[in-house]
Amino acid sequence: MMRDHDNDILVECRGVSVGYDEPILENVDLSVERGEIVALLGGSGCGKSTLLRSLTGLLPPLHGEIRLLGRSLYDAATDARAKLLCRTGTAFQQDALFGAMTVAENVALPLHELTRTPKAVIDEMVRMRLALVGLSGFEDVSPTTLSGGQRKRAALARASILDPDVLFCDEPSAGLDPVVAATIDETLKSFRKVLGITIIIVTHELESLRAIADRAVMLGRGSVLAEGTIDELEQSRDEDVFNFFHRVPELSLEEQAQRSQS
Amino acid sequence: MPATTTVERSGRGVVVRLRGDIVVSTSRKTWACIRPLLRKRDCDPVVLDFSSAGRVDSSALAMVSLLRRQLSRDGRTLELVELADQHEAVLALVPAEMSAPATAEPRRGTLERIGESVYAMGASARELGRLVRETVRQTARVIARRERLPAGALGEHVAKMGMDAIAIVGLLGFLLGMTMSFQGAVQLQRVGAGPFVADMIGVSMVREIAPLMTAVILTGRTGAAIAAELGTMRVRSEIDALATMGISPVRYLIVPRIAAITFVGPALSLICMFIGCIGGMLVASFALDLAPITFWQRMAERLTISDFAHGLSKSFVFAWIIGFAGSHLGLRASADASSVGAATTRTVVVGVFCIILVDAIFATITTLLRYG
Repeated sequence: MMRDHDNDILVECRGVSVGYDEPILENVDLSVERGEIVALLGGSGCGKSTLLRSLTGLLPPLHGEIRLLGRSLYDAATDARAKLLCRTGTAFQQDALFGAMTVAENVALPLHELTRTPKAVIDEMVRMRLALVGLSGFEDVSPTTLSGGQRKRAALARASILDPDVLFCDEPSAGLDPVVAATIDETLKSFRKVLGITIIIVTHELESLRAIADRAVMLGRGSVLAEGTIDELEQSRDEDVFNFFHRVPELSLEEQAQRSQS
Repeated sequence: MPATTTVERSGRGVVVRLRGDIVVSTSRKTWACIRPLLRKRDCDPVVLDFSSAGRVDSSALAMVSLLRRQLSRDGRTLELVELADQHEAVLALVPAEMSAPATAEPRRGTLERIGESVYAMGASARELGRLVRETVRQTARVIARRERLPAGALGEHVAKMGMDAIAIVGLLGFLLGMTMSFQGAVQLQRVGAGPFVADMIGVSMVREIAPLMTAVILTGRTGAAIAAELGTMRVRSEIDALATMGISPVRYLIVPRIAAITFVGPALSLICMFIGCIGGMLVASFALDLAPITFWQRMAERLTISDFAHGLSKSFVFAWIIGFAGSHLGLRASADASSVGAATTRTVVVGVFCIILVDAIFATITTLLRYG
């Protein structure tokens, strides 16, 4: 794999609108440099996952341009786009593991399909990567027998097995116990530090956000609300950003009742 | 930069000079250089010289790990020299505890495999028995008005299984009637028994062809659809969701389907009989100059109510075979996507097999009863 553009912008959105028929997000500008960990934040249904679908080549944007590794993702021919996507890894929110294969076969799939790595080396890589995400000993079981957290970790192992330039993670630590969530955070950090992987992560978990993200982009009200380091966002005066970071609930039942009375 | 790794002997040991990037895309070449060292038991120590190595990634880490384990098993040592910072960082990414490489399980013998499949069939049959029992119980509760079917489900299933299949069943019946009439007319005319073609078409359509053809079409259309629907619901945990809500999946999903197919099977079969006879009649009137009214009269005289009873009772049994095969195999799908495909395929294969088997049993029994 070539690393031809060091220290440049790996993921870039210019005036992007994403959505299915109607835009959910408009005018999104985003640029992520090599080696950064950037979080996409926002309440449920704000379009984080839709934006991620567009970034991973699954959903062409309605307007604007998405550039991956310095090349336009959706202007490229199908083969060129597939080549570009080979250099990224995606861990989906639902793990998307293949139920008919074992865990090890799932993780080895990109190596078998996209490279000519010898089998002995593949086996060793798979076992090391599974051990790294804490799934040692689960090589030969079916993913359907794993718990939710284990499946997320297996999905992360599969997404990262090719040492991609960019790793997209949709809520990697949602619904996991604190120890496992911290393990995943540490794994992601070591991927960045050791292998130089750029990571774009969608998350709700404030703690894991503080632990790993260099920078966050807060989405809401159909566009980018704020952008900056976690500290900067926490100081933001924007109401939605403030509510998100300070866990201010929407109207409680009593308040709703009061409002409807008045 | 292409990797042109070289191997040099130095005294008893061997020095591997790694050149270029040691990454996934070059791993085949690199491994081809390193692998022979594993067999040369006299080389000790093995030194990996990283002085002119470029970038390394997880594949390099895996190769070092493999090499180290193999060598230490032989009591040899591996030395890594001239590591740059990036090399050190990647090679330090060794997980604390790693499972040992899998040892191949001993292959099972033929007897063992036969035994296992017999056990599996037994378990499957017991499960089918439970499903049938539960369906009967829930149907009884619905009939006794202690439970209700989901609103509109019965009508929807009848429309989907029956109305939508009328055209294909009718067309196939018509074509079969025509074909039989053509074939029969030629043979019967040779012995001067042309008009008997009406008897032949009537009896074989009502007793045999119509129930069988309808059942085969129903297996392909409806049985497969039931298995795929239920299998997908199983994969998506929808059936578990029903059970945890306290709603019986059998009452909610199976009873309406079985009830609908119980009605649809014989009804389609009747339609097929009628249209098949019309097809035969048309051909007979063209090929044999047998007036349609004569054909119809001969057929009406020859056919008795017991012929219809025979055909329709077979249709009921076929309908239940299809319904229960689809439901049973669909519900048994495991949690992965390929099991839905397997369930659908098995429904069609098992369904058609059982239908023909039951048809043979019916034929044997009625023949024995009549002449035995």
